[in-house]
Amino acid sequence: MIKIANLSFSYNKETRVLSGINLEFDRRSTAIIGQNGAGKTTLVKLMKGLLKADEGKILIHEHDVSGKTAAQLARTIGLVFQNPNDQIFKRTVLDEVMFGPLNIKMDKQTAKEKAIEALKMVELDDKLEMNPHDLSLSEKKLLCIASVVAMDTDIIIFDEPTIAQDHGGKEKIRQIIQALKDKNKLVMTIIHDMDFVAENFERTIVFNDGQVLLDGETRDVFSQKELLKTACVEAPGITKLAERLGFKDTVLTVDEFINMKKTYSPPQ
Amino acid sequence: MKSISLYEEKASFVHDVDPITKLWYIPFAILIPIILPSFTISFLFIGLSLVLLLGAKVIRKTIPVFGFVFLILITVVLIQGMFKPENETVLFQIGPLTMYKEGLLFALTITLRVINIICAFMILVLTTKPSDLVEALVRKGMSPRIGYVIVSVFQIIPEMMATMSTITDAQRARGMETEGKLLVRIKAFIPLLGPVVLGSLINTKERAMALEVRGFNSQAPKTYLYEEKTYQFSKVLQIGMLLLTMAAVSWRIFL
Ligand SMILES: Nc1ncnc2c1ncn2[C@@H]1O[C@H](COP(=O)(O)OP(=O)(O)OP(=O)(O)O)[C@@H](O)[C@H]1O
Ligand SMILES: [Mg+2]
Repeated sequence: MIKIANLSFSYNKETRVLSGINLEFDRRSTAIIGQNGAGKTTLVKLMKGLLKADEGKILIHEHDVSGKTAAQLARTIGLVFQNPNDQIFKRTVLDEVMFGPLNIKMDKQTAKEKAIEALKMVELDDKLEMNPHDLSLSEKKLLCIASVVAMDTDIIIFDEPTIAQDHGGKEKIRQIIQALKDKNKLVMTIIHDMDFVAENFERTIVFNDGQVLLDGETRDVFSQKELLKTACVEAPGITKLAERLGFKDTVLTVDEFINMKKTYSPPQ
Repeated sequence: MKSISLYEEKASFVHDVDPITKLWYIPFAILIPIILPSFTISFLFIGLSLVLLLGAKVIRKTIPVFGFVFLILITVVLIQGMFKPENETVLFQIGPLTMYKEGLLFALTITLRVINIICAFMILVLTTKPSDLVEALVRKGMSPRIGYVIVSVFQIIPEMMATMSTITDAQRARGMETEGKLLVRIKAFIPLLGPVVLGSLINTKERAMALEVRGFNSQAPKTYLYEEKTYQFSKVLQIGMLLLTMAAVSWRIFL
């Protein structure tokens, strides 16, 4: 669905933020991880057309991104910004969520339905008339998610959706991601919460210093202890525990661990 | 974030001079040619300022400013040269246009004044960090509140520009066309105003709180973040400029 070839980008002449990125995305749900400043946000802004590449190409559904404006791309690809304050600018919660759908030429009735449906998913449908700036940080983040989900794009990217969320909030986000996957959309997430990665994403890409360090099935990626260390990321706690205990296979979730434990005999 | 100040960080003897002395230089360089209205004096001061700008290695930054000023001055020269009521002596003719001596001399006076004023200001502006100047004034007794307001003005415009591009990104990201034809841009610009103004009001409120919790309103005497910029010859220069001004006044009165 997305093809990235030899992509390079820098904000200013001195430092290159991304260099020589080659990636292809299919419909597998994908997590993008890597240390702060690795260039993850920059990459998704490039895909979204908010930034223009210095070199290389991005094709979405076979169409070159450079030939389209960000607004045209918004019909196919949605992005939830890392910082909700950068995304919110309308005066009521409902207006904020309806803004996207109305722009991609949905009629008012459908836009409103989609908006309310999305707000129900994040349980903000009782705050339709509130000013978004009066919401808490976690609610703002959920509002941003709703306003992108309401646009019903084929590709949807979350930039750190779980920041500031308690367990309940994370659970809502998990359900949204699952619902999107069920609708056969490409879900991509930049995230620092490794447990969330292990439990929800089929594919994981590790960025380091503007380059792709690792890319593959989440399970395979989390088995590469040494490489992960160079990118300053760590496998989930349960994965490390299993590894220390000498389990042969890489474990991703607590359930897996328990299942393995039943058939496992500790080395004497 | 981009800065709207024209200050250019360089190492030079002009940069070493303390802000207050450079501030003094402005009335000095403007007043003397007014007190002693001769072309020689005007040229002398413009020459001096240009030498200082050259010495500060900031002369390139003055080019756009002068470019703009010259554009205006050319119209002054043309209008005065042709239409000043006192015009009598014909200097030369280009086609149907006649240029007169009186008007041109008058225009020359204005031109020299304007260039002189701009040069004097530019020395201060190009070689002094705004915050240094404000801090020096606060040390001299200006209220820190007024100082803060002045510094804020230098920050708020780039901040608003940054907010604008943030909001534009948020709009584009959700399908609002902001690129392309002028009409499209204008259409995209109008809904920006609300959020930008609202955003800066919210910022102001938060900044006021941030100032408050860090003791901005405390009555205790304030200390300064930066070391005071001192210049060994500042007193000499300031007194020198004062004496020269007084000398110019007495010259004018008694001779
Ligand atoms: N607008 C900008 N102008 C200049 N440099 C920038 C800008 N935005 C980001 N950078 C720099 O580009 C690099 C990559 O930033 P980016 O935001 O893509 O990192 P990231 O992987 O998303 O990090 P994080 O996990 O902290 O969100 C960083 O060094 C950052 O300082
Ligand atoms: Mg980021």
